[in-house]
Amino acid sequence: MIKQLFTTFVAGLALTGSAQLYAADLTDVNEIVKQANLAAYYQGEDGRSEARMLIEDSQGRKQQRQFTILRRDYEDGGDQQFLVAFSRPADVRDTVFLVEKHAGTDDDRWLYLPGLDLVKRISAGDKRTSFVGSNYFYEDVSGRNPEEDTHQLIETTEAFYVLDNAPKDPNSVEFARYRVWIDKVNMLPMKIEYSDVSDKLYRRVEVLETETVQGIPTVTKSRVSDLVSGASTTMEFRFIRYDLGMDSSVFTERSLRNPPRQWLKRPE
Amino acid sequence: MQVNKVIKTGESGRNVSEKRALLLTALLFLSPVALAQQADEGGSDQGWGDDSWAEETPTSNWHGFIEGGLGNRLNADPALNDRFSPVDDATLSELRLRLETTGFVGNDRYAFKADLYADGVDQGVRADLREASYTLTPIERTDLKLGQQVLTWGTGDLLFLNDLFPKDWQSFFAGRDTEYLKAPVLAAKASYYGDSASLDLVWMPDYTSDRYINGERFSWFSPQAGQNVAAPAGRIDAEEPANSFSNGEFAARLSGTVDSTEWALYGYRGFQKQPNALDSVGNPVFTRLNVLGASVRGNLGSGLANAEVALHMAEDNDGSDPYKPNSQFRFLIGYERELVPKLTLGLQYYLEQTLDYEALNAASPSPYNPEEYRYLYTTRLNYRMWQDNLVWSVFAFYSPSDDDYYLRPSVSYRYSDTLSFDLGANVFGGDKAHTFFGQFEDASNLYGRVRYAF
Repeated sequence: MIKQLFTTFVAGLALTGSAQLYAADLTDVNEIVKQANLAAYYQGEDGRSEARMLIEDSQGRKQQRQFTILRRDYEDGGDQQFLVAFSRPADVRDTVFLVEKHAGTDDDRWLYLPGLDLVKRISAGDKRTSFVGSNYFYEDVSGRNPEEDTHQLIETTEAFYVLDNAPKDPNSVEFARYRVWIDKVNMLPMKIEYSDVSDKLYRRVEVLETETVQGIPTVTKSRVSDLVSGASTTMEFRFIRYDLGMDSSVFTERSLRNPPRQWLKRPE
Repeated sequence: MQVNKVIKTGESGRNVSEKRALLLTALLFLSPVALAQQADEGGSDQGWGDDSWAEETPTSNWHGFIEGGLGNRLNADPALNDRFSPVDDATLSELRLRLETTGFVGNDRYAFKADLYADGVDQGVRADLREASYTLTPIERTDLKLGQQVLTWGTGDLLFLNDLFPKDWQSFFAGRDTEYLKAPVLAAKASYYGDSASLDLVWMPDYTSDRYINGERFSWFSPQAGQNVAAPAGRIDAEEPANSFSNGEFAARLSGTVDSTEWALYGYRGFQKQPNALDSVGNPVFTRLNVLGASVRGNLGSGLANAEVALHMAEDNDGSDPYKPNSQFRFLIGYERELVPKLTLGLQYYLEQTLDYEALNAASPSPYNPEEYRYLYTTRLNYRMWQDNLVWSVFAFYSPSDDDYYLRPSVSYRYSDTLSFDLGANVFGGDKAHTFFGQFEDASNLYGRVRYAF
């Protein structure tokens, strides 16, 4: 009897300790989308990570990109600042990319080309084009505004919320809909599959590895596959730190011309 | 520090075609197959070739490229044909080695970047110190960058109103990489980054002109001769202002951003960047020039708009000396947007108004005087394909006031991270022999470049 009570007590403790783990499933699709957006793109108040991409084209040829990315949030779910400093390959080394991401309107983007000492402003343009020659889109890296799509919860499995999403303005994007699998525990979107107007699946983004960094579930390896051509890009993140206390001045023209070593250098 | 002029070997008598053959052999050696194999070797660590995470600073921090480039005139230039053998219509013929490195001393950053190249057109081996700089932060919010460096500001696309830093028009016309349009200069640049505005102050102690069209690689229109002339007789060899503090160049910019719109005010004190004046005995000289200007750049609709003005206050301030350039008012307005995904369109209108035009005409009613209102339109079309590995581009200058044009079509193919190819042309034309672009009609050329980066 006592043993039984004890077991119940321990189980009860476990339940309290990880309430979210066994919390009732979310049923409000907008809440799911909101939490997934925060989990994927707004970890901490700011963050830094080193990243490398391996791009494989349909003929199996490989290209590489390596960069350090700094991010700062104005507010969760709102505007953000990004600084991306490239270290390889040779032709993009020391190129720096600065983004003022606006949740409501077009982002402001600048590119620093060291050979010309040119701070080039980039017109807003299509966010669904290649990010530095990879299969990732700009939008995959900096996040797509949830307001741009309609969302529908189609299934809640043991591990995932499965959502179907359709663009409010179909002419603005290349997809007709996408399905996303959101991890019920850490709320990270683990797989996204894009279909075109003829309902053909042509693109997949999937998380391959995650880690908990400073208590925050974080994607450390992901892959985009172009299911039509067979090309793919694998991206890995390492040396991740959150809540470094970067202020807004890190994300200015100064950092384009003179990258902020204090934040870019690998943390000890 | 005109480093590019320093090294010149005495091999002018050597057979030019022999050198060409050497260059071609070098280009063949850099064939895609050989390089691709090299790049694919050592495929450990999931295709990374090395453990790029292992250390923050790789053991070798030296990088660069080897590039071979060939270019030829579309038509012979009669002004240049006396100089070399009649077969030599080359505008680009070089093998180039770039070496560069960057690093830190504490939080101070140093950068070194230099080119060594064998030039078959100018017939010599040359060096070009592109950068040898040291950047430090002596006080909070302030960066100081000292040494040889490339400097750029302003909002124009291949048009410069307030950017009086040296340009290299010979490289630009010959089809070298766009990077070479900007020539390096020895300078001290101090930048203060405030909350609402930033201030840049640049001192260039030793006046550095543009690498202008001087009759060596391309001929130019001489108003005195009434036709195009070239080296040796038509070579422009202007003496630069004597090296003194008061002959140094000073440039300043005050800039800021308000609601995603960038604004800037500019100032410059120095000399014309090209020797477009004549002294009392008819030698080309650089006259004094002061510039004040302003620019704005920001989002407009789904694109990007920019406007810039500049007042070029020349030494000939009443415009009555026909041998010195008059003051000018320059105006630019531009717009760029993505038309459809991967296709970007840029349009610019540019005006160059010669001030005191009456005085100029009264002093010299030459048919070769510039138009009072010289204006032009530019169009840029860029199309990216194959995951941005293939880029088609055309940039066109067209001036209705001068009836002339300059087209720059090009295609760039990035075969791999190490190997890339460029093919392009510089096509000039015009109704009159003396206008800005018209005079370079016989400089029109086709070029190709192969680059192996490491």
